[in-house]
Amino acid sequence: MEGLIVGIDLCDMYTQVNCADEEMAWTIPTVICRNKHSEEWYVGEDAYAHVLSGDGIIVDKLLNLALKGGTATLEETRYEGRQLLKLFLERVLEFPQQEYGLLGIQQLVVTVEKLDMRLVKLLYACAEELEIERERVHIVCHSESFTYYILSQKKEIWNGTVGMFDLSEQRLRYFEMKAQRGMKKTTALTEYENLEEAFQLDILTTPSGAKLADKILCSCGERMMQKKLYSSIFLTGKGFLNRDWAEEFMKLICTKRRVYMETAIFAKGAAYRALDFLHGKNAYPYVCICDGHLKSTISINVLHKGQETSLVLASAGDNWYDVKAEAEVILLEQDFIEFIVTSADSKQSKTVEVLLENFPKRPERTTRVRIQLSFLDERTMQIQVEDKGFGELFPSTGIQIRQEVMV
Amino acid sequence: MSLLLCRKEHVRHPYYIENLGVHIFSSQELAYVIYHYPLLVLDGFVGEGLLTFLREELELGFLALKLERFLKSGESTDEALILLLQETGYCTSSEVSKFRHKIEKLRKKHPAELKKVKADELFSMRQYGRAVELYEALLLLNSDGYVDDHFRGRVWNNLGSCYARMFQFKKAFDAYEKAYMRTGHEQLLEQLYVLSKLDSRLNVGERLKMLMTEERVSEWEKKMFTARENAAQSEQVKELERLFSQDETERLAGETKLLGKWKQEYRSMV
Repeated sequence: MEGLIVGIDLCDMYTQVNCADEEMAWTIPTVICRNKHSEEWYVGEDAYAHVLSGDGIIVDKLLNLALKGGTATLEETRYEGRQLLKLFLERVLEFPQQEYGLLGIQQLVVTVEKLDMRLVKLLYACAEELEIERERVHIVCHSESFTYYILSQKKEIWNGTVGMFDLSEQRLRYFEMKAQRGMKKTTALTEYENLEEAFQLDILTTPSGAKLADKILCSCGERMMQKKLYSSIFLTGKGFLNRDWAEEFMKLICTKRRVYMETAIFAKGAAYRALDFLHGKNAYPYVCICDGHLKSTISINVLHKGQETSLVLASAGDNWYDVKAEAEVILLEQDFIEFIVTSADSKQSKTVEVLLENFPKRPERTTRVRIQLSFLDERTMQIQVEDKGFGELFPSTGIQIRQEVMV
Repeated sequence: MSLLLCRKEHVRHPYYIENLGVHIFSSQELAYVIYHYPLLVLDGFVGEGLLTFLREELELGFLALKLERFLKSGESTDEALILLLQETGYCTSSEVSKFRHKIEKLRKKHPAELKKVKADELFSMRQYGRAVELYEALLLLNSDGYVDDHFRGRVWNNLGSCYARMFQFKKAFDAYEKAYMRTGHEQLLEQLYVLSKLDSRLNVGERLKMLMTEERVSEWEKKMFTARENAAQSEQVKELERLFSQDETERLAGETKLLGKWKQEYRSMV
């Protein structure tokens, strides 16, 4: 199929769009404007132009509005936040569609600051309304798109620790990625921290404000980087578009290190991720452990063809919201199911036992149970065990046990 | 202690096992039936119907092909059953060996005895109708070193029990009478007495009546009394009493449900 492979970095203030293997990225404020006289919608600079000319009404912070389930009334018509977000995304996709002359979407990865199930469902619903097939749409978080961006660079850039400062309006974050070579696969471990010292970018317009901001960044840099060895440092966000104000900070980070500036790192990383989804698992043979991904592997021990073996229900590195594992087993002299949780970094295991309370007593090997496993968030595993009986020989009681477990 | 991993089997058309009156939906259930009811699967179980089920529903095409070759080669179908147990992975290797030993032992039995054991198995599974068919076939066999009057007496006795469980008291009465003529077991007199009490149209002949001494009758009456007392206290009777104490709407709904259950149970018996 011919179509775009798109990465969208969707934030409440701005949205960036990039297509795989393309340098060009669009940065658009996350606002939408409706024409006062007709049902015409504008985004980006057009939106502000229509507001200034007096024939448009603007709605901003679209992501937050949609997430809260809020509405906006424009010219006596009430619009749901989700509706506006869908209209916004539709117009955002028109930028690459017009630029490259391709209408179809092969893969779409939307990257957001932090993943939660409501947001994931909201974005899937928007994509469905835009008639983009479910299997072509993926939602990831900034940590993952950062990781994919870095892993797409030359190896010398990420063979050690990679650090990144993200400075934008009301947000200062530090990301760190380490590549750990394992026996089978390389694991990319990414963590990030929201720094409390975030400041309004307005202060950079005055000399004293700029100096203060430089000092703040220096102190953050010293604290986060300490004496660690870095193979590269990245800077991203609106705050670093101009770095003249950050003289001391630049000196600090540039000492014996490679420093790169990239304005659309999350959108580009999302586009690389989209490319990976398209190509399957071979393009990026790494286990990605970051925000939004499981840090542990969940398994159960089973007998298969007479051999004791481990059945993996969810692997470290899987997107938690994509995990929907299911297995059917027959109980052999036991009235519980033991889940083994193995941490990806320490390789230490702990067990979680689910007691099959009130399950009927039946002859040996005549109770089949269905085990379903999913995640409510990165750390909360939801287990459901259902009595399936043994056909008409020992009919099912339909008893179900649900348990939420912190892993 | 462990868990046995089940294959993903999306069975849309389950396989009906007539002798058991059940449908099976998985390879594990199939293995369970073979392992636990060898008598019911010993002859004629592995046939075209089962092969189609293996091929089309369980997606065990390779196993079906192997079994097909077995059948065509004219080898013993016992080996086909063992192969089925091995390939489904439900039984351990020691259980498969045990099963092999069990069917070897059954094969050593006289054909009439094997048929009777099979009928007894059906009786123990409350499949009275199917057991009757086998018992009646046994009564048609010519006499030999094994099939004699005593054997026929045992068959008549079991046939009587089948009819009695199906509430066909007249047939049960006749069968018990014939059994008594051949075996002379005292217990059969008791059965005849009880049946005559349950159905007043059944009359014990003068010759047998003479054998029912006062002492014996008094003992049997005591037993019947105790049985009635126990039945009155049983959970099923209490449930019925509870049902009849409910208001009309609830009672009617309960009665319909209960009658439906009884009908189903009875149909599966006969």
